[in-house]
Amino acid sequence: MSALALSSLRGRAGGFLASFLAMFLGATILMAFGSLFDTSGGPGVDAVSREMLNTLAAVVGGWGLILVTFAVTSTLTLSVRQRAGEMALLRNIGATPAQINRLIVTEALVLAVVAVVLAVAPAVLAGRVLVEWLAGSGQIGGSVHPHFGGFAVHLGVLVTVAAAVVSAALAARRVTRPSAAGAALDAATGGTAPGWRRAAAAGLFLFLGADLAVVTATVMRGKSDFEPMATAGPASIWFSAGLALLAPSLLRLVATRLVAPLERFGGAAGHLAGLNLTGRSDRLAPAVMPVILFTGIATGTLYMQSTDAAANALAGVTPTADHHAAQTTNMAVIGMILVFTAIMVVNTLAATMIHRRGEFGRQRLIGATPRQILCMVAGESAVLTATGVIFGTVASLVTVIPFSIARTGSAIPGGGPAPYLAVVAVAAAIGVATSLTAARRTLRTPAAEAAAA
Amino acid sequence: MTRQTKALRLDDVRKVHGAGPTAVTALDGITLALPPGTFTAVMGPSGSGKSTLLQCAAGLDRPTGGSVVVDGVELAGHDEAARTRLRRQRIGFVFQQFNLLPTLTVLQNVLLPLRLAGEKADPGHAVAVLERVGLAGRLGHRPAELSGGQQQRVAIARALVTRPSVIFADEPTGALDTRSARDVLNLLAESVRDHGQTVVMVTHDPVAAAYADSVLFLADGRIVGHLPEPTADAVAERMAGLGETAAQRRILEGV
Repeated sequence: MSALALSSLRGRAGGFLASFLAMFLGATILMAFGSLFDTSGGPGVDAVSREMLNTLAAVVGGWGLILVTFAVTSTLTLSVRQRAGEMALLRNIGATPAQINRLIVTEALVLAVVAVVLAVAPAVLAGRVLVEWLAGSGQIGGSVHPHFGGFAVHLGVLVTVAAAVVSAALAARRVTRPSAAGAALDAATGGTAPGWRRAAAAGLFLFLGADLAVVTATVMRGKSDFEPMATAGPASIWFSAGLALLAPSLLRLVATRLVAPLERFGGAAGHLAGLNLTGRSDRLAPAVMPVILFTGIATGTLYMQSTDAAANALAGVTPTADHHAAQTTNMAVIGMILVFTAIMVVNTLAATMIHRRGEFGRQRLIGATPRQILCMVAGESAVLTATGVIFGTVASLVTVIPFSIARTGSAIPGGGPAPYLAVVAVAAAIGVATSLTAARRTLRTPAAEAAAA
Repeated sequence: MTRQTKALRLDDVRKVHGAGPTAVTALDGITLALPPGTFTAVMGPSGSGKSTLLQCAAGLDRPTGGSVVVDGVELAGHDEAARTRLRRQRIGFVFQQFNLLPTLTVLQNVLLPLRLAGEKADPGHAVAVLERVGLAGRLGHRPAELSGGQQQRVAIARALVTRPSVIFADEPTGALDTRSARDVLNLLAESVRDHGQTVVMVTHDPVAAAYADSVLFLADGRIVGHLPEPTADAVAERMAGLGETAAQRRILEGV
């Protein structure tokens, strides 16, 4: 099985690219910020600098942990699912579920180890740049020397490898659970049932998010700026994660309402888009999850920042070093979320489109023009993105409104509509552009050839 | 017969794959004319260009040269979108691998060509066609829930639903058992006999070819023979001869 794992890694490197990228970037970020912790333990670091470095390492590192796990799970699950047919074939010729499991976990383990090893050099460099930048902007003392040590390496290796192995095992369980014949049928129809565990986890996350929102709006009311941030920030994260877990159901909810208008205004392409969205919501939902996370967390964090700035300006408070530190941390978090969710969205949509080239080929053979295919894809990805943006916005309100109430007494946040519109524009651009580009590429193959794929 | 009354006319159709020294000539000047209401089988050894001929004639592929006229309309020279529009009005296509869309039900699959053409899809007509192929009780099933023979009959219903003048079938029985194959061939013959449609079928099976009114033999991209009123034995004999000739030529050419 390990020989097969290595040869499938070599043979279809493209299919593992996104998982590898998520692991590599994740390990780089984790180790770069982890090295701040190593740096703070070095000689000649004053107490203020130490606190700044530790806070940044803890907050961004903690975030990285969640994001890496999520991104690796998302990309690995997808690459395993795309090979459901191959897995069904292996089982039909006599591979046991345990062997399939070992194959998938070995592939992931090899990828993770390679990713971490390659990430060390860029992480050392990024850690240095971070320390220099923090020193240059006066947020830490100028005498602090960057140090890349045991903590950074352990964090990078443990988190990346653990995330890879756990997500691979979970993904493998999905393809090995049904009987061999059932697996082949599943591969053909794309059917999977949503589990109660998923619903339970979603319920727990939503409860945590809502709870933090209530605490922010009540207990934290009128407290100084950093205390409400500590409860308001995570609120939208938990809530986004909860809604992201429910993505298949949410997509079905939105799609069933949009089938009629899609058909009325979109013609045959709209009709097909509607059928795909309702009939394959489980397969398309992975593209919605990162959009919910991105919209929810980015909007929440941006408005927390802008409301804080507005409240300070109103109270006549001049920004202190602590304000800068909070801003730095928030921006680092948003940047990281943007990178990972973008990988997930692009990967999911591109892989889905490439996987569907046979379907597009068949539709062209039956009489769909390339334009009709592109219209169908555009309609689908617009609905996917819109679903993600709608529920991401709902999730962001769990941070935005309570924080605004706590800081200013009003539910309306500072900053105006511009940050929100920017978040929506980025989400829409990534979603629709990726789908259309990938679909257009698949249309270059002659229809008869594509249909046979 | 005048030019307009031909259902399908190919004039010096050539198809070259690739360019330069590695170019492969798949079709080497095919000229043929088929009257409406005929059932023609196209046979030939592997690599003789049968499938390429069918795809060029059906507007699925673009010939390198020559002209393809279906039902009085020139297909060659248009881009994919224009060829698609011509195709869905005049041509039905049945594939070896059925090519049904897995997420659509039987009825939705059959209605799809009408919807794509932007016509008001008439479920009554589609149901009637499905009845004709013996699948009236399976309208809500998905392809994966049907046998191969049933899937191919859905595909035939989908090809018939637009009332095309020419139906092309590429090895339509290649993935079926004998009994299902017979059902499919009878349906094709029936659309010629009862509905005046023209069927062109590529096959390697002499029994299947015997359902046709006449057989065209292809070798190395050229038409090398014609057999009217075919029987399975006569077809098999001609094919055996063709296979030997092709093999001998390959040996002589050192391929």
